Amino acid sequence: MKIIIVGAGEVGFHIAKRLSEESNEVVLIDKDEDKINRINENLDVYALLGSGTSPQMLKSSGIAQADMLIAATDSDEVNLIASMLACHLNPSIIKVVRLRNQEYIREEGLLNKDLLGIDQIINPESFMVDTIKNLIMVPGASDVIDFDDGRVKLIGITIKPDSEFVGRRFNTFSEHHEKFLVGAIIRGDQVFIPHGEDTIQANDLIYVVARSDDLNGILGRLHVEHRECKRIFIIGGGQVGFTLAQSLDNTNLNVKIIEKDSRICNSLADRLQKVIVINGDGTDKDLLLEENIADADIVLAITGDDETNVLISLLAKRLGVKKTITRINKLSYIPLVFAIGIDTVVSRRLSAIRAILQYVRKGKIISVAPLKGEHAEAIEAEALAGSNIVNRPLCKVKFPKGSIVGAIVRGDDVIIPNGQSIIQEKDRLIIFALQNVIPKLERLLTMHLD
Amino acid sequence: MHPRSILRFISIIILYLAIALSVPTIVSVIYHENSVFPLLYSMLITLGVGLILYFLTQTHKELILSHRDGILVVTFGWITAGLIGALPFMLSGYIPDFTNAYFESLSGFTTTGASILNNIESLPKGILLWRSIIQWLGGMGIIVLSIAILPYLGVGGMQLYKAEIPSPVIEKLKPRISDTAKTLWKVYLLITVIEVILLFVGGMPLFDSICHAFCTMPTGGFSPKNLSIAHYGNPYLECVIMVFMLLAGINFSLHYRFLKGESKIYVIDPECRIFLLIVISFILIIVIDLYKEVYGSLLESIRFGSFQVCSIITTTGFVTADFDKWPSLSRKILLICMILGAMAGSTGGGIKTIRLILIAKHSYKEIFQLIHPRAILRVKLGGKSIPPEVLSSIWGFVFLYLGILVLASLIMAHLGMDMISAFSSVCACIFNIGPGLGTVGPTQNYLSIPLIGKWVLIFCMLLGRLEIYTVLVLLVPEFWKK
Repeated sequence: MKIIIVGAGEVGFHIAKRLSEESNEVVLIDKDEDKINRINENLDVYALLGSGTSPQMLKSSGIAQADMLIAATDSDEVNLIASMLACHLNPSIIKVVRLRNQEYIREEGLLNKDLLGIDQIINPESFMVDTIKNLIMVPGASDVIDFDDGRVKLIGITIKPDSEFVGRRFNTFSEHHEKFLVGAIIRGDQVFIPHGEDTIQANDLIYVVARSDDLNGILGRLHVEHRECKRIFIIGGGQVGFTLAQSLDNTNLNVKIIEKDSRICNSLADRLQKVIVINGDGTDKDLLLEENIADADIVLAITGDDETNVLISLLAKRLGVKKTITRINKLSYIPLVFAIGIDTVVSRRLSAIRAILQYVRKGKIISVAPLKGEHAEAIEAEALAGSNIVNRPLCKVKFPKGSIVGAIVRGDDVIIPNGQSIIQEKDRLIIFALQNVIPKLERLLTMHLD
Repeated sequence: MHPRSILRFISIIILYLAIALSVPTIVSVIYHENSVFPLLYSMLITLGVGLILYFLTQTHKELILSHRDGILVVTFGWITAGLIGALPFMLSGYIPDFTNAYFESLSGFTTTGASILNNIESLPKGILLWRSIIQWLGGMGIIVLSIAILPYLGVGGMQLYKAEIPSPVIEKLKPRISDTAKTLWKVYLLITVIEVILLFVGGMPLFDSICHAFCTMPTGGFSPKNLSIAHYGNPYLECVIMVFMLLAGINFSLHYRFLKGESKIYVIDPECRIFLLIVISFILIIVIDLYKEVYGSLLESIRFGSFQVCSIITTTGFVTADFDKWPSLSRKILLICMILGAMAGSTGGGIKTIRLILIAKHSYKEIFQLIHPRAILRVKLGGKSIPPEVLSSIWGFVFLYLGILVLASLIMAHLGMDMISAFSSVCACIFNIGPGLGTVGPTQNYLSIPLIGKWVLIFCMLLGRLEIYTVLVLLVPEFWKK
């Protein structure tokens, strides 16, 4: 696939990196010379210095032959113009546009085929807000991913050393097998798709697929805390902090937001109704104690600065908070912070990548979610008539080693499959797969012509 | 300051009053009353004065009204209207004394409804109708004043409602305000007509229906009957009047929006919601207090209790029961009703619900701040932050209101009234209600008050009606400096 990315900021950079790793032909355009240099040094992509809103620039990037344009600058206006130009220069191109202003997103008909022809909007901030909200609902989980509009949930749970499941083999879970399935295990840097003979070890991060309705029972059985959070501290009142606070406003939750900048505080106070806005430094222990942080159910450290977020989370844990969510932008930090006891991390990068991956994959892929560490993915795909997977028992389908069907969604039913389950056409499948078997899986999911 | 523009506007007001005077004159002719000529002379005098002023101020230049001119037109407009309103009373000889006639007339124009008349029913129909028309016109003036002019002048924190007028232009008051005014007057007229019909259907004579409707909508409270609404003893009529008093106590721009199809606006609007809540809770308290104590049946307690609460809190002042004889708790609740008043943007007086809400919220904010010293807090109404200037202006307004109330009460007491009567007479006038307690209670009138007392009360009516600042600012020397 040939892909043009406009904007080499954090989001553009990460997308370019991921796409180039999957052997796509990527062209990156940015106005900043330093960024272009950095990309040329680090990534296997073709980086161009120039403006993404210049038709000449887009032409010389080879837009006429490109399959996809990703407009990922910080400016909505630049992104919209870039996509308009792309539409003009190559009407059949797939356009993925980063938009932050909710007004544009809410305006119906603005983004449709006739006017701008945008195929997919990416809004990493709001994606991150959704992720955080999911995590607030299931405070015991380290990761929560929605599939099929939230009817199926993928929950990542860290197994504590004192858990009674440590050392148990997966096939001993068979009595619950109807209800849920362990799809992937992340142990240290390794990801693997489990077999019945594998055992659970301490500090494993296991990914469980389950129907949303069954979730509470399953979490109870796994001894995961699933009490809903009541008292929430948000530290950092930027775009993410505000959007989150706004979506939790006018609920019965008790939300406080702490922000250092008094001007931002004023604007937050004007726009929020019930949320209490506090002007102060989130790393100030006295302030946190004064506001009774020890009684908080969850602390969200989501300022724009990774180091501050890590410190706040550690401080909050020291002060007795059970659960913290830490926003980390630099991916290289993530293994480090796990080592010092921070378990739940959110980042813009995963959100941005998740939004575009479905357009890169072949077959009828509905959505793709990279799992922690990004060496494995959960894929939501539609089973096509004529492909090799339909109308035969699962144990007869030659799924590549390192992939497993986690759930089958058929109409209103969600089926957790076993070896005898049969996939029908139009079923939606949720498949776990290691990154290196994804090409094989793609071949399996596409139409078989003979 | 532009004296020519100011006089021009006042001359227009006078000419409109001349036209209004023709209505009672015609009625007088129809009923063959002796008040025909006094009314006709009043009309001619008014017409003459109006025309002279109008032609003297004739100019080719565009009329300019500055901020200060606006204040002057409003205040002197009301004072002049009071003078013209008094003419028929004096010329007809029914109220020969100037002070009494002016008191009656200004009480009408400020929609207070305080009367110095002993035997109202002895007056000819023409004069009675004029009394009601005065109130109705006063109400019209107040709607424009409270929705269009005062918010724009920023009086007493009312800049809150500025947003309702599309982009006010500083130098020219006229164009947009006249549009707003016309729309609101249509609403006012419509509701009045509906009330006349409902009262007439309920068996009230047509003349009485018109008079009562004309005095309900401006929350005035003049009645052509000595016993006010109690004269009819008809629960249906009381019910109709009670509902329309409440309507008159609600911001007229809400009625407009309701008629435009926003059916839930009364519940959505935060001020209206709280106003209705206050009315209901006061009715409940009074009904509980009255039941068994004064009235034997629960239904009667509700009937008289709710009518009096609605009448006093909307500052109308109609009566169906002598609430001065009620138990002490009920009387105190009514006194609180007097002070609270109706909604801003209505024809009612008092401190206004909106100011009460904001003061309560501001106080809560201060207490909350003690618990969270670092919190950034805002006083909000309907999701919007209220700027601190508006809040301080409201505090100033309320403090001034209560200060004047205390001062005027002391003067009245010094003139020989007992404390309750003195306090309630000032309340009844400054909040534009009408009847008070004690010697100015619902079955009494203001005739016996000494001369100085009457002028103090006249001043209070004007102060209360024009939201204090508009009048007091004229007493500041800085206002008159070039």
